[in-house]
Amino acid sequence: MAAQRLAECNGCEFRPELYYDAHYQIWVRQEAGDLLSIGMTDLSQAIAGKILHVRVRRPGTARPSGKPVATIESGKWAGPVPNVFDCVIVEANPAVLDNPGLLNDAPYGAWIARVRPQLGIAEALSHLVTGRAARRGYCERAVREEIYCPHGEGTAE
Amino acid sequence: MSPAWRVLDTGVREAAENIALNRTLLDALASGEAPPTLRFLRFRPCALLGFHQSAEQELDLEYCRAQGIAVSRRITGGGAIYCDEAQLGWELYVHRRDFGHADLTAISRRICQAAVAGIRALGVDAAFRPRNDIEVDGRKISGTGGIFEGDALLYQGTLLIEFDIERMLRVLKIPAEKLSDKAIASARDRVASLKDLLGAAPALPEIQARLLRAFEREFGVSGVEGTLSGAERLRLERDLAEMDGEAWVRLIERPTGEQPLHEAWMKKSGGLLRVRLRVDAPSGRLKQVWFTGDFFISPRRTVADLEAALRDSALEGLEGRVAAFFEGREVDMFGLSPTDFAGVVRAALDSQPLAPRTLA
Repeated sequence: MAAQRLAECNGCEFRPELYYDAHYQIWVRQEAGDLLSIGMTDLSQAIAGKILHVRVRRPGTARPSGKPVATIESGKWAGPVPNVFDCVIVEANPAVLDNPGLLNDAPYGAWIARVRPQLGIAEALSHLVTGRAARRGYCERAVREEIYCPHGEGTAE
Repeated sequence: MSPAWRVLDTGVREAAENIALNRTLLDALASGEAPPTLRFLRFRPCALLGFHQSAEQELDLEYCRAQGIAVSRRITGGGAIYCDEAQLGWELYVHRRDFGHADLTAISRRICQAAVAGIRALGVDAAFRPRNDIEVDGRKISGTGGIFEGDALLYQGTLLIEFDIERMLRVLKIPAEKLSDKAIASARDRVASLKDLLGAAPALPEIQARLLRAFEREFGVSGVEGTLSGAERLRLERDLAEMDGEAWVRLIERPTGEQPLHEAWMKKSGGLLRVRLRVDAPSGRLKQVWFTGDFFISPRRTVADLEAALRDSALEGLEGRVAAFFEGREVDMFGLSPTDFAGVVRAALDSQPLAPRTLA
């Protein structure tokens, strides 16, 4: 079963316990203290290629929905780590700032920023998808856009 | 009928305005206000940082100030460059969905290969060098970089029509010795302009026409001359307010001490092999490597190719990377072996960093 799901998602890892934006660019995880962690999905890191730079907005900075919480650079492409709810940056992951390659090696272990949603956790999560519906959308995007994750570790159950 | 791309020629502008226009045109495409666009642009003398770079680390700011060279930050990735009126910028504002897949490396390769076709049509034997340079026999003629914003992409390059190498050496903190005839000659082995290669620079309209034709062919579109819309002019005012000033240049500040300069040399029967390099200490990567010396190597471009292969690579695994580079390549060397290149780089890494003043 796991092998079949792996093939469906072109080898890209999916974590059913996480929340995702509608395009599966970011994952979001609930943390203690009404905080959310944000990271890049396996799809996003695969598209980007080897990531060389990460910049996270300063702690305390308010980021409205649609404004990136961070930017990354791979090869010579720069791009945003997007954001789909109003939030304030609480902290950046120092391990990722020191070694951006973690985003390629362990996309679900390497959170990029912790944020405090302006309108509460429930409101923020209402903009996101999770579980089986998310798995379906995630794999559909991998297939539709021909995204392959050669180093993906498979779908976690 | 093939789909239309707007073609803009925004002439010669200040750096800040050209960068603000990047933001304006990308956002206009992303929000559906504007069609896919090919823009040609030129710059008044300026130093342009890659988005994630710091001015202190990349540029001789004192020299820039004294010479009236503007400093700005691109919104695209890649390395710092020096630009003036004698380079032609080309930029594509396109949808990712039009490529049918999402792989950014493949997208930049395809765009670069189209630009290569345009440059070749000018009579120059250009080729794409991964990751993002267009080169002629190992010498860079167009550097490129991009930004993605959801489905909207901007990919840009600068084509060297003529180029002031001495000025580039002064502006950029590249690990070359500055200002000696030898330094300039070694830079000439790595950079080429249309004028160098053709004897005379083709006229600007011809260059633009060749590039346009090449992009039209590659993407099956037809270019239609256009102008900025009213909405774009309004956006430009806002974007210029953000990007015309110190705050934008200082958006990312990193101390110069994080990127020490090292040097080493070895005397072999084939001659002197010397290397200068910069390391990015926090990430443990080679930032830039510059080999010089009086050794014999054929083809000569091997040196520039090796430098490109080592750029931004991890210090760990250096020897394996150099060995892999030489494997399967036909390279003639006299009294020098592939392991010497890794050896001299390792010796430099093990040496004390050079004091900043020896940069001059």
